[in-house]
Amino acid sequence: MSEFVQDVGLFMPVLLRGLAVTIQLTICALLLSIMLGLVWALLARSRFRAVRVFVAMLINVVRGIPIIVQLFFIYFVLPDWGIDLSPFVAGVVGLSVAYSVYQAENFRGGFESVDPQLIEAGLSLGMGKQLLMRRIVMPLGVRTALPSFGNTTIMLLKDSSIASTITIAELTRAGQLLAISTFKNGTVYMLIALLYLAASIPLAMGVRALERRISRR
Amino acid sequence: MITFSGVAKAFGTRAVLRDISFNVAAGQVACLIGPSGSGKSTVLRCINGLETHDSGTIEVDGAPVSAVTLPLVRHKVSMVFQRPNLFPHRTVLENVTEGPVHVLKQAPADANDFGMALLDKVGMADRASNFPDQLSGGQQQLVGIARALAMRPIAILFDEPTSALDPERVGEVLRVMRTLAEEGMTMLIVTHEMGFAREVADRALFIDEGVIVEEGGGRQLLTAPAHDRTRLFLDRVLNPL
Repeated sequence: MSEFVQDVGLFMPVLLRGLAVTIQLTICALLLSIMLGLVWALLARSRFRAVRVFVAMLINVVRGIPIIVQLFFIYFVLPDWGIDLSPFVAGVVGLSVAYSVYQAENFRGGFESVDPQLIEAGLSLGMGKQLLMRRIVMPLGVRTALPSFGNTTIMLLKDSSIASTITIAELTRAGQLLAISTFKNGTVYMLIALLYLAASIPLAMGVRALERRISRR
Repeated sequence: MITFSGVAKAFGTRAVLRDISFNVAAGQVACLIGPSGSGKSTVLRCINGLETHDSGTIEVDGAPVSAVTLPLVRHKVSMVFQRPNLFPHRTVLENVTEGPVHVLKQAPADANDFGMALLDKVGMADRASNFPDQLSGGQQQLVGIARALAMRPIAILFDEPTSALDPERVGEVLRVMRTLAEEGMTMLIVTHEMGFAREVADRALFIDEGVIVEEGGGRQLLTAPAHDRTRLFLDRVLNPL
């Protein structure tokens, strides 16, 4: 027992540093994926058919390729083409692109949930398409889609562990290295699991609270 | 002010309006009455382009309604819907100032002053900072009327403004509408409130199956209709048993 406590005291600083990288990675990828996702969602409503078809294809391609393969592509293949990214940047870019398509779907679902009668009310006030989008469809759509965004964030937090495969010393990678060097697999992986839970459970509770608030309105 | 000449409109193969012609002069209150599905709402929706008519011309303030003139028409002619359709994420006052500030680009301070004056006029000034879901249906509709007035329209279209309200809330909305009528606002009203139409309307048009069957003075058409179909409709509505 005392050995276990000692191990925990020894491993925790390393794992917490890994968790810090995991959280940085998640936040950066979250923000970038939301921005990209919004771009896809807006382009998907373009009045030009070619743009809509392009976005639909892009979404299917990105969604159809495993995230780990996308990361490998960005980290190992892009350097051959002269694009050499640091592991962290490659991880952020890879996760952002991969997740942007889910964010786009979140936006689309939100936009489509907006009551068409409210859009008519905006139209009859003389609003143009852009003003309608900015003043009515976006704020209302994002509001209803908030729980989906929360769930996507939890998925992203967990999938950031895939970045361990391109040498980013995030939580999973830090733990792997510890486990390999100490053979204390049980202790290390239990701590990793607990740390992921400690980060995701507050998020999940936040999502639940949001859902309750939205259903009340 | 609002003139229809030979307007027709079909949804797919179903004709909703056939050869509709009428004129509402400035300052007049005209009520459109008729059975459900007769095309009354479509008449209103064609005026501000929520629907496009297939043929004939609609003129607002002397200019034909088209894709080009539509933005201007919507600035000039406001609409009040059956369901109030207030923006749920904005306060009562913000709902009223949304059009003036963001569409007409008025200074927010001016728009707020005018908005508060309008809310006061409809008796909702003390609710200015509430959100729509904190109001009853009737109160929401009063705010909807204030929102329409905030655009300083030359005419207001009402699409069954009291049909979705609790019966005891209908009166407060109708009273505000009557005040507007007395002040000389041009109004085109689709309604099933026959008492209101009889008392307030300068003109009444009875529409059935996309055709204006009969038109006349409000009191005359509602108390002494010339047409059998009008008489039958009124009899059913006024004496449902």
